[in-house]
Amino acid sequence: MGQLSLKSVVKTFGLIEVVKGVNLDVGEGEFIVFVGPSGCGKSTLLRMIAGLEHTSAGDIVIDGRRVNDLPPVQRGIAMVFQSYALYPHMSVFENIAFPLRVEKAPEEVIRKKVQAAAEILHLDQRLQQRPGQLSGGQRQRVAIGRAIVREPEIFLFDEPLSNLDAALRADMRIELTRLHKQLGATMIYVTHDQIEAMTMADRIVVLNAGYIAQVGAPLELYHKPDNTFVAGFIGNPRMNLLPVTCTAVGSEGVTVMLDGQSLTLSVEPRPEAVGQTLSLGIRPEHIRIGADDAVLEIVPSVVERLGQQTIAYANQPGRSETFCMVLPGTQTLQVDQPIRTGFRAADCHLFDAEGRAFPRRIDLTGAEMPSTAA
Amino acid sequence: MARSDDSRAMIDRYRWWEVVLIYLGIAAFLFFLLAPFLEGFLVSLKPLAQLFSSPYRFWPENGSFSAYVTMWQSVPGFARYIFNSFLISTVATVIVLILVVPAAYAFARFDYRGMGLVLGAFLAVSMFSGAVLLIPLFRLMRTLGLLNTYFAMIVPGVAFLIPSAIWLLRTYMMRIPVELNEAAYMDGASQFYTFRRVILPIARPGIIVVAITTFIGAYAQQFVFALSFNSKTEYMPLPVGLFAYFGKQEVIWNELMAASFVGITPALIIIFFLQRYLVGGLTAGAVKQ
Repeated sequence: MGQLSLKSVVKTFGLIEVVKGVNLDVGEGEFIVFVGPSGCGKSTLLRMIAGLEHTSAGDIVIDGRRVNDLPPVQRGIAMVFQSYALYPHMSVFENIAFPLRVEKAPEEVIRKKVQAAAEILHLDQRLQQRPGQLSGGQRQRVAIGRAIVREPEIFLFDEPLSNLDAALRADMRIELTRLHKQLGATMIYVTHDQIEAMTMADRIVVLNAGYIAQVGAPLELYHKPDNTFVAGFIGNPRMNLLPVTCTAVGSEGVTVMLDGQSLTLSVEPRPEAVGQTLSLGIRPEHIRIGADDAVLEIVPSVVERLGQQTIAYANQPGRSETFCMVLPGTQTLQVDQPIRTGFRAADCHLFDAEGRAFPRRIDLTGAEMPSTAA
Repeated sequence: MARSDDSRAMIDRYRWWEVVLIYLGIAAFLFFLLAPFLEGFLVSLKPLAQLFSSPYRFWPENGSFSAYVTMWQSVPGFARYIFNSFLISTVATVIVLILVVPAAYAFARFDYRGMGLVLGAFLAVSMFSGAVLLIPLFRLMRTLGLLNTYFAMIVPGVAFLIPSAIWLLRTYMMRIPVELNEAAYMDGASQFYTFRRVILPIARPGIIVVAITTFIGAYAQQFVFALSFNSKTEYMPLPVGLFAYFGKQEVIWNELMAASFVGITPALIIIFFLQRYLVGGLTAGAVKQ
């Protein structure tokens, strides 16, 4: 129970297509996170699953049953809203009990279920308070409590932590992960926050302009992005993309020329790539001071010192994109003073002119990733 | 508390002489607004002879409440007039609320073809002066045999009060987050259940504001309708009753003012206790929350 399938799901508002034929299978008990930039259709997709938006085309199937035309309450789902959507005139108890009152559950059942939910969410001392007397985190827990008492097969979360401050967000992330383990229910979670996506998800669905750009486990998206959009969206600061020319392909990978240096990348080769201009991707955190497989002379124009890390931005001669690197916080670095940086070929990604990745030859099942092996 | 802090911070932004100017402006505005009421109240305290003395004295000499006593004794059916006034205003308010609360909710929450036209029509109707429609309304009431009834003084008034009440309450209800409806819908609540259990309690301050403004509106406009559609003393509201009594011979100004103040005092008391809702409700939606 708690399986969801989206089959060629489309949503149009007038002439505008917001969700453009999404296909997705969500397994029982999975924690799925939808991420993407504003306007990519992630919240609309969630609302379609919830039954708050009509599905223009395609099928939404929950546990083998097509639910397109069913009201939310018959879909076996519960939703937690970004704005909490608590009833301000009701106590915490009554807010959590609301769905049970709607279905006219016996008073004893209501009391037991509300009490159980309150204990899970550490709200048992707050049951008689009004939402206005609670902190942001407590309010969000009440909203989750209201979802829990319905015992749904699937929980939907629409950016539930975005109204909280950074510290509270971190606490709530841990609580939600714990809750997922405790309840074992399927959870679908919308966020624009990468950290939430990376830390909580079993699988992340990256959406771009109404399409699914990639679906995969967090580290899979990080290490093996399918395209430049996912490569840029997952990881912060975003991946650097440098133009290179493909000089050779072979069993060992693809050889490219970067500023006169030859680099062989361990990716699946495509013979037709020879002679083409490609994009070499290197994450800012994989760049170090000093020479390596590849060397770049850069002149930092902005240096951000965060304590644990130092982030440097540099303009690249003849290129519009800013080059970014993340260094240890102890690294001394001065603005306008040229430095020699390097990175390993094993850390590089390669994309064609359309932005499609040459699949990297790395094994994600092992504990060690190429970046940590050195 | 937060609002008072905000007001404080706003005042602190001005220099001292700007604050003085602001308060002087407020004082001048309030003076023009309240001077007729003050004058009316002072007149009710003055002996009749003093009212026509020359030069005119603003403050009463040997002021007393004797005009209130004599008015109460001399105006026949004074209590009945007050009862009629309150009955007409209260019934009008109740009818307006019964019609307007669900209508405003529908206008605030549902989007349907022609809604703008209907809302515009309400606005257009409210722009008609009551006086323009008095003759057709009179003919209608006469044809229906409703002249000299409470109905004739209440129902036309209700029609005039509904448009502004709908606009005011709709604005208030639009401010209630739509996610509350969606959350209730997700939990299986019907539209009516959501309206009754979620929206109505949250909209209570807005409904109270509409009730107050409707009551005041009904109180103010009953003079015209009662004068036009009623000639029976037992149905007369206070303004018409006083007009009929004091207009007969000479005008006894101090007693007239005393009667007027007694007449409006219950309404003032109600407004005084509900004014916190009035301020909150009228400014609803004015700023981003």
